[in-house]
Amino acid sequence: MIEASFMSYIALAIILFSLGIIGFISRKNIFIIYMSLELMLNAINLMLVTLSKYFGSMDGQIIAMMVIAIAASEAVIFLSLIVVMYRLKKSVNIDDFDTLKQKGTL
Amino acid sequence: MIDVLFLILSIFALLGAIGMISLVNTMHSALSFVVTVMSLAGLYALLNASFLFMVQIIVYAGAIIVLILFMIMFLNIKQDHAPKEPNKFLNMLVVAIVLVPVDYLIFSAFLKMSHIEDFSEKTEGFGDIKMLGQELFSKWLLPFEIISILLLVALIGSIILARKKERK
Repeated sequence: MIEASFMSYIALAIILFSLGIIGFISRKNIFIIYMSLELMLNAINLMLVTLSKYFGSMDGQIIAMMVIAIAASEAVIFLSLIVVMYRLKKSVNIDDFDTLKQKGTL
Repeated sequence: MIDVLFLILSIFALLGAIGMISLVNTMHSALSFVVTVMSLAGLYALLNASFLFMVQIIVYAGAIIVLILFMIMFLNIKQDHAPKEPNKFLNMLVVAIVLVPVDYLIFSAFLKMSHIEDFSEKTEGFGDIKMLGQELFSKWLLPFEIISILLLVALIGSIILARKKERK
Protein backbone atom coordinates (compact mmCIF):
# COMPACT_ATOMS: atom_id res chain seq x y z
CA MET A 1 0.00 0.00 0.00
CA ILE A 2 1.31 3.40 -0.97
CA GLU A 3 1.33 5.80 1.98
CA ALA A 4 1.74 9.56 2.08
CA SER A 5 5.35 9.48 3.18
CA PHE A 6 8.23 11.74 2.24
CA MET A 7 9.55 9.46 -0.47
CA SER A 8 6.20 9.05 -2.21
CA TYR A 9 5.83 12.82 -2.57
CA ILE A 10 9.39 13.02 -3.91
CA ALA A 11 8.72 10.14 -6.33
CA LEU A 12 5.55 11.84 -7.58
CA ALA A 13 7.44 15.10 -8.14
CA ILE A 14 10.24 13.31 -10.02
CA ILE A 15 7.76 11.45 -12.24
CA LEU A 16 5.83 14.65 -13.01
CA PHE A 17 9.07 16.46 -13.88
CA SER A 18 10.06 13.60 -16.20
CA LEU A 19 6.67 13.70 -17.90
CA GLY A 20 7.26 17.41 -18.45
CA ILE A 21 10.63 16.73 -20.07
CA ILE A 22 9.09 13.98 -22.24
CA GLY A 23 6.34 16.31 -23.46
CA PHE A 24 8.78 19.15 -23.98
CA ILE A 25 11.09 17.12 -26.22
CA SER A 26 8.70 14.90 -28.15
CA ARG A 27 5.80 17.22 -29.07
CA LYS A 28 5.63 19.81 -31.85
CA ASN A 29 2.61 21.86 -30.81
CA ILE A 30 3.92 25.00 -29.11
CA PHE A 31 1.01 25.12 -26.64
CA ILE A 32 1.79 21.62 -25.39
CA ILE A 33 5.47 22.56 -25.09
CA TYR A 34 4.44 25.54 -22.98
CA MET A 35 2.20 23.39 -20.79
CA SER A 36 5.04 20.90 -20.32
CA LEU A 37 7.16 23.79 -19.02
CA GLU A 38 4.40 24.63 -16.57
CA LEU A 39 4.21 20.98 -15.53
CA MET A 40 7.93 21.00 -14.74
CA LEU A 41 7.51 24.17 -12.65
CA ASN A 42 4.62 22.51 -10.80
CA ALA A 43 6.70 19.43 -10.08
CA ILE A 44 9.50 21.58 -8.65
CA ASN A 45 6.91 23.41 -6.53
CA LEU A 46 5.64 20.11 -5.15
CA MET A 47 9.19 19.11 -4.25
CA LEU A 48 9.82 22.48 -2.58
CA VAL A 49 6.67 22.22 -0.48
CA THR A 50 7.52 18.64 0.50
CA LEU A 51 11.01 19.67 1.59
CA SER A 52 9.53 22.64 3.45
CA LYS A 53 7.44 20.27 5.52
CA TYR A 54 10.34 17.86 5.94
CA PHE A 55 12.67 20.52 7.35
CA GLY A 56 9.92 22.35 9.25
CA SER A 57 10.86 25.67 7.67
CA MET A 58 8.69 28.09 5.67
CA ASP A 59 11.42 28.97 3.15
CA GLY A 60 10.40 26.25 0.69
CA GLN A 61 6.81 27.48 0.57
CA ILE A 62 7.94 31.07 -0.01
CA ILE A 63 10.23 30.00 -2.85
CA ALA A 64 7.31 27.99 -4.29
CA MET A 65 5.14 31.11 -4.17
CA MET A 66 7.83 33.05 -6.02
CA VAL A 67 8.06 30.28 -8.61
CA ILE A 68 4.29 30.67 -9.12
CA ALA A 69 4.74 34.44 -9.61
CA ILE A 70 7.54 33.84 -12.12
CA ALA A 71 5.35 31.26 -13.90
CA ALA A 72 2.56 33.83 -14.19
CA SER A 73 4.84 36.45 -15.74
CA GLU A 74 6.33 33.76 -17.98
CA ALA A 75 2.82 32.83 -19.12
CA VAL A 76 2.12 36.42 -20.15
CA ILE A 77 5.36 36.80 -22.11
CA PHE A 78 5.21 33.35 -23.72
CA LEU A 79 1.61 33.69 -24.87
CA SER A 80 2.19 37.14 -26.35
CA LEU A 81 5.22 35.70 -28.18
CA ILE A 82 2.98 32.88 -29.48
CA VAL A 83 0.56 35.54 -30.79
CA VAL A 84 3.41 37.37 -32.54
CA MET A 85 4.80 34.16 -34.08
CA TYR A 86 1.32 33.07 -35.15
CA ARG A 87 0.83 36.38 -36.94
CA LEU A 88 4.09 35.88 -38.83
CA LYS A 89 3.82 32.18 -39.74
CA LYS A 90 0.10 31.26 -39.34
CA SER A 91 1.12 28.07 -37.54
CA VAL A 92 1.67 26.57 -34.09
CA ASN A 93 4.16 23.97 -35.31
CA ILE A 94 7.61 24.64 -33.90
CA ASP A 95 9.19 23.33 -37.12
CA ASP A 96 7.84 26.42 -38.89
CA PHE A 97 9.62 28.81 -36.55
CA ASP A 98 12.99 28.45 -38.29
CA THR A 99 13.84 32.05 -39.17
CA LEU A 100 17.19 31.85 -37.39
CA LYS A 101 18.12 28.53 -39.01
CA GLN A 102 20.78 28.66 -41.69
CA LYS A 103 19.40 27.40 -44.99
CA GLY A 104 21.49 25.27 -47.35
CA THR A 105 24.87 23.76 -46.65
CA LEU A 106 27.40 25.24 -44.30
CA MET B 1 -7.40 8.69 5.38
CA ILE B 2 -4.50 10.90 4.27
CA ASP B 3 -2.94 7.95 2.50
CA VAL B 4 -6.11 7.30 0.50
CA LEU B 5 -6.39 11.00 -0.37
CA PHE B 6 -2.73 11.06 -1.42
CA LEU B 7 -3.23 7.99 -3.59
CA ILE B 8 -6.30 9.42 -5.34
CA LEU B 9 -4.74 12.86 -5.88
CA SER B 10 -1.44 11.48 -7.17
CA ILE B 11 -3.21 9.14 -9.59
CA PHE B 12 -5.25 12.08 -10.90
CA ALA B 13 -2.11 14.21 -11.21
CA LEU B 14 -0.28 11.50 -13.16
CA LEU B 15 -3.25 10.75 -15.42
CA GLY B 16 -3.69 14.47 -16.14
CA ALA B 17 -0.02 14.87 -16.98
CA ILE B 18 0.02 11.79 -19.23
CA GLY B 19 -3.11 13.02 -21.00
CA MET B 20 -1.61 16.47 -21.36
CA ILE B 21 1.49 15.26 -23.17
CA SER B 22 -0.21 12.57 -25.28
CA LEU B 23 -3.56 13.97 -26.47
CA VAL B 24 -3.73 15.27 -30.03
CA ASN B 25 -6.27 18.07 -29.64
CA THR B 26 -4.76 21.15 -27.98
CA MET B 27 -7.95 22.00 -26.10
CA HIS B 28 -8.25 18.49 -24.62
CA SER B 29 -4.62 18.72 -23.59
CA ALA B 30 -5.16 22.03 -21.78
CA LEU B 31 -8.26 20.69 -20.01
CA SER B 32 -6.26 17.64 -18.95
CA PHE B 33 -3.64 19.95 -17.48
CA VAL B 34 -6.35 21.51 -15.28
CA VAL B 35 -6.79 18.11 -13.61
CA THR B 36 -3.08 17.99 -12.78
CA VAL B 37 -3.06 21.54 -11.39
CA MET B 38 -6.08 20.95 -9.17
CA SER B 39 -4.67 17.63 -7.88
CA LEU B 40 -1.42 19.39 -7.03
CA ALA B 41 -3.42 22.00 -5.13
CA GLY B 42 -4.95 19.16 -3.10
CA LEU B 43 -1.49 17.74 -2.44
CA TYR B 44 -0.36 21.14 -1.13
CA ALA B 45 -3.30 21.06 1.26
CA LEU B 46 -2.18 17.61 2.44
CA LEU B 47 1.31 19.03 3.02
CA ASN B 48 0.00 21.76 5.43
CA ALA B 49 0.55 24.51 2.83
CA SER B 50 -2.93 25.98 3.04
CA PHE B 51 -1.99 29.35 1.59
CA LEU B 52 -0.21 27.76 -1.38
CA PHE B 53 -3.33 25.64 -1.93
CA MET B 54 -5.32 28.83 -2.47
CA VAL B 55 -2.59 30.46 -4.55
CA GLN B 56 -2.33 27.39 -6.76
CA ILE B 57 -6.07 27.38 -7.44
CA ILE B 58 -6.34 31.16 -7.94
CA VAL B 59 -3.17 31.78 -9.96
CA TYR B 60 -2.70 28.52 -11.84
CA ALA B 61 -6.20 27.24 -12.45
CA GLY B 62 -7.75 30.70 -12.39
CA ALA B 63 -5.27 32.80 -14.34
CA ILE B 64 -2.67 30.79 -16.25
CA ILE B 65 -4.87 27.94 -17.50
CA VAL B 66 -7.65 30.36 -18.40
CA LEU B 67 -5.10 32.45 -20.31
CA ILE B 68 -3.91 29.35 -22.19
CA LEU B 69 -7.50 28.30 -23.00
CA PHE B 70 -8.28 31.86 -24.11
CA MET B 71 -5.25 31.88 -26.42
CA ILE B 72 -6.15 28.48 -27.91
CA MET B 73 -9.68 29.70 -28.64
CA PHE B 74 -8.38 33.06 -29.86
CA LEU B 75 -5.99 31.50 -32.38
CA ASN B 76 -8.70 28.96 -33.28
CA ILE B 77 -6.47 25.89 -33.50
CA LYS B 78 -8.50 23.27 -35.34
CA GLN B 79 -7.75 19.59 -35.53
CA ASP B 80 -6.28 19.88 -39.04
CA HIS B 81 -4.18 22.93 -38.09
CA ALA B 82 -2.46 21.01 -35.32
CA PRO B 83 1.00 19.74 -36.29
CA LYS B 84 1.25 16.21 -37.65
CA GLU B 85 3.27 14.05 -35.28
CA PRO B 86 3.39 10.52 -36.70
CA ASN B 87 6.14 9.11 -34.46
CA LYS B 88 5.23 10.97 -31.28
CA PHE B 89 5.01 7.89 -29.06
CA LEU B 90 8.32 6.51 -30.30
CA ASN B 91 10.01 9.79 -29.33
CA MET B 92 8.32 9.67 -25.93
CA LEU B 93 9.53 6.11 -25.38
CA VAL B 94 13.12 7.03 -26.26
CA VAL B 95 13.10 10.06 -23.94
CA ALA B 96 11.53 8.01 -21.14
CA ILE B 97 14.22 5.31 -21.46
CA VAL B 98 16.93 8.00 -21.36
CA LEU B 99 15.35 9.58 -18.26
CA VAL B 100 15.08 6.36 -16.20
CA PRO B 101 18.70 6.35 -14.91
CA VAL B 102 18.57 10.09 -14.15
CA ASP B 103 15.37 9.63 -12.15
CA TYR B 104 16.86 6.65 -10.32
CA LEU B 105 19.91 8.76 -9.40
CA ILE B 106 17.78 11.61 -7.99
CA PHE B 107 15.49 9.18 -6.16
CA SER B 108 18.38 7.32 -4.52
CA ALA B 109 19.94 10.65 -3.50
CA PHE B 110 16.70 11.56 -1.71
CA LEU B 111 16.47 8.06 -0.21
CA LYS B 112 19.70 8.71 1.69
CA MET B 113 18.22 11.71 3.55
CA SER B 114 14.85 10.28 4.62
CA HIS B 115 15.45 9.41 8.26
CA ILE B 116 12.62 11.34 9.96
CA GLU B 117 9.73 8.94 10.44
CA ASP B 118 6.91 11.20 11.70
CA PHE B 119 6.53 13.16 8.48
CA SER B 120 2.82 13.73 9.04
CA GLU B 121 3.08 15.60 12.35
CA LYS B 122 4.14 19.22 12.49
CA THR B 123 3.66 22.25 14.74
CA GLU B 124 0.38 24.14 14.96
CA GLY B 125 -0.19 26.87 12.39
CA PHE B 126 2.58 25.71 10.06
CA GLY B 127 1.99 26.93 6.51
CA ASP B 128 -0.99 29.18 7.11
CA ILE B 129 -1.18 32.74 5.88
CA LYS B 130 -0.02 34.39 9.11
CA MET B 131 3.25 32.49 9.38
CA LEU B 132 3.94 32.82 5.67
CA GLY B 133 3.27 36.57 5.74
CA GLN B 134 5.58 37.09 8.71
CA GLU B 135 8.40 35.26 6.93
CA LEU B 136 7.68 36.99 3.63
CA PHE B 137 7.80 40.53 4.98
CA SER B 138 10.80 40.09 7.27
CA LYS B 139 13.30 37.66 5.80
CA TRP B 140 12.19 37.66 2.16
CA LEU B 141 11.33 41.34 1.73
CA LEU B 142 13.85 42.15 -1.01
CA PRO B 143 12.98 39.12 -3.22
CA PHE B 144 9.31 39.98 -2.76
CA GLU B 145 9.86 43.52 -4.08
CA ILE B 146 11.98 42.21 -6.96
CA ILE B 147 9.16 39.79 -7.87
CA SER B 148 6.70 42.69 -7.97
CA ILE B 149 9.01 44.62 -10.32
CA LEU B 150 9.28 41.46 -12.47
CA LEU B 151 5.49 41.26 -12.75
CA LEU B 152 5.34 44.92 -13.81
CA VAL B 153 8.06 44.33 -16.45
CA ALA B 154 6.18 41.28 -17.76
CA LEU B 155 2.96 43.33 -18.00
CA ILE B 156 4.59 46.15 -19.98
CA GLY B 157 6.62 43.73 -22.11
CA SER B 158 3.59 41.70 -23.17
CA ILE B 159 1.73 44.85 -24.21
CA ILE B 160 4.70 46.02 -26.28
CA LEU B 161 5.20 42.58 -27.85
CA ALA B 162 1.62 41.85 -28.83
CA ARG B 163 0.43 45.23 -30.10
CA LYS B 164 0.09 45.93 -33.79
CA LYS B 165 2.88 47.69 -35.61
CA GLU B 166 1.87 51.16 -36.77
CA ARG B 167 2.07 51.66 -40.51
CA LYS B 168 3.68 54.92 -41.58
